Amino acid sequence: MWGIFLESVVVFKNYMGFHENGYLAGIYLFALLYLWLTEKDKHRRTFFVYVPTLILFMFFCPLFRKVFVRLMEDGETYYRLLWLLQMSLVSAYGLLKLCGRHRRIGLAIICVAIIACGNYVYDSQYITKAENVYHLPQDVIDIVDLIEPEEGRITALVPADLIYYVRQYSTNIELPYGRQALIARWEFHHDLYDVMEESEVIDTDALVELAREYPCAYIVLKENRKTTVPLTQHGFILYERVGNYLIYQDTQVIKAEFASN
Amino acid sequence: MLHVLGLLFWLVIIPFCIGMIPANFISEDKRNPGFVMLAGYFMMWAVFEVVAIPAVIFLKYDNFKVASVSFTISAILCAAVGVWLTYRNRKKIKLHPMPALSWAERIEWLLFFVLLGFQLYKAAAYASFDGDDAYYVVESLIAQQAGVMYRILPYTGRSTGLDIRHMLAVFPIWIAFVGVKSDIHTTIVSHLVMPFVLIPLSYLVYYEIGKVLFRTKPEEQDSLFHRENLPIFMIIMCMFQIFGNVSIYTNETFFLTRTWQGKAVAGSLVIPALFLMFLWIYSDAGRKPETGTKAKRFGDVGQWMVLVGINVTAGICSSLAVFLSCILMAITAFCLALTERDYKVIIKMGAACIPHVIYIAIYLFVGYSHLWI
Repeated sequence: MWGIFLESVVVFKNYMGFHENGYLAGIYLFALLYLWLTEKDKHRRTFFVYVPTLILFMFFCPLFRKVFVRLMEDGETYYRLLWLLQMSLVSAYGLLKLCGRHRRIGLAIICVAIIACGNYVYDSQYITKAENVYHLPQDVIDIVDLIEPEEGRITALVPADLIYYVRQYSTNIELPYGRQALIARWEFHHDLYDVMEESEVIDTDALVELAREYPCAYIVLKENRKTTVPLTQHGFILYERVGNYLIYQDTQVIKAEFASN
Repeated sequence: MLHVLGLLFWLVIIPFCIGMIPANFISEDKRNPGFVMLAGYFMMWAVFEVVAIPAVIFLKYDNFKVASVSFTISAILCAAVGVWLTYRNRKKIKLHPMPALSWAERIEWLLFFVLLGFQLYKAAAYASFDGDDAYYVVESLIAQQAGVMYRILPYTGRSTGLDIRHMLAVFPIWIAFVGVKSDIHTTIVSHLVMPFVLIPLSYLVYYEIGKVLFRTKPEEQDSLFHRENLPIFMIIMCMFQIFGNVSIYTNETFFLTRTWQGKAVAGSLVIPALFLMFLWIYSDAGRKPETGTKAKRFGDVGQWMVLVGINVTAGICSSLAVFLSCILMAITAFCLALTERDYKVIIKMGAACIPHVIYIAIYLFVGYSHLWI
């Protein structure tokens, strides 16, 4: 039980960003404590004091964590229980109550405290200037526009950094493997992924053999990706170049599809 | 132009008209355009959930097309009922004039709108990468391009069996519906249109919460909770959202970086909306004695309708949101029962959770059907 409790402590610390010097939780806990001491209205006391405190208690309760993990069959989402705390709502209410009638100076101090203890969301490494209205990399759109068939679907093998995006633009492109192969903890094994991504130099023979099993009509490689033998020696043609990517077309597969249509 | 009209119809007119249904069953002091829009969205999502789930479970081919037609008819019918009820009660509806604002308040509201506009600008001009989009956004796109829900694996495009973890959370399908009706690629709807809907809606919830907390007419010597604190409250809420990225897990981070995903809607819209309903239903601040038998009978019905609608909406967001909503309702009912010394509250809150019970029953039935079928 002690171990489970310590796991919850780690989840709490990670959620609150203590490891990255985020102390917004400090503001929240301060506001909660202040409301404990001063809130007189019984309904507000219920919603902004008792309920969050009970949720915190439940969060750290090992028995509850055990039940949660058993029910949801997933311990990774346990942190979402902390969403029920509604940190911003309780903090804003508590801090405004604390400011009393000095609301303008209070607002200035609260804003400075939030900036100092928080982390600016738009500094995130995951946020970049949008290249188009789809909010997808332009290279993906250019590649898919080139290989997407007018009718039906084709399978394409693309590098790992494009896997997330290709099917967000067109579901007419099928992939031999998807995001599952990229997340190590999901332990999703795929032979083609191993050949394509795991070795420094791609074994062309193995790649072509496995790709034709699907069959992949196109293989997209990064320009600087090394192969044991050029794909062009296996019946592929260099179809187009888009940015740093080379698009190879498997003429065998294209011919077979053309014949079947 | 048709794209914009389609968006306006399905994202503004239809939810607003549907919201008129519960608005006809609440006390006058709580009835305002903000309430109507919020209630409309929650009721609309609830209708979508009810219509889409049977199609997901029982139909294999073209299930999105069937759900889409059914929802179109249901939503328009609900909207028509809302308009008809409002027309019938038009004489009783009074429009309250906007309260006069001091110059200081105007500047504070302006500051809030600048912060809101800044978030919307960032949502439009900047792309936020999230791996889960490879599932949710593609699920929307499959519905739009192939007319199928949850029968094709979004990651690869291969056929798949029903995935119990996701199939009841049909928020991406609603996005696909909006995409189809406005003839806009659903990836654009998810990444560009949805933030312009969901971010203002979340702030609308905070605004309504603020209105309960900061009354127009404070009690004697209670200037602390005067309405003039409302814009300050909203500015602080904005600051918390913008600087709440202390980790990738906070609901504030989800709110601004994964706005279009059901789980973000659960954290930033559904859960705060539950707090709003608790405040509305149980806070004295919102209560005024109603006159007339009908008003007494229906004074609170609209609020409970919306509470049920929010609970169903939790299901549209994610299965975990149902669990979270259940916990919040249970804890709140427990605390209220103790503080109010009224144990009926547990029965009332329990009744509002009936949609969750049905949801969990479907989850278990479909999820474990392989054991008995």
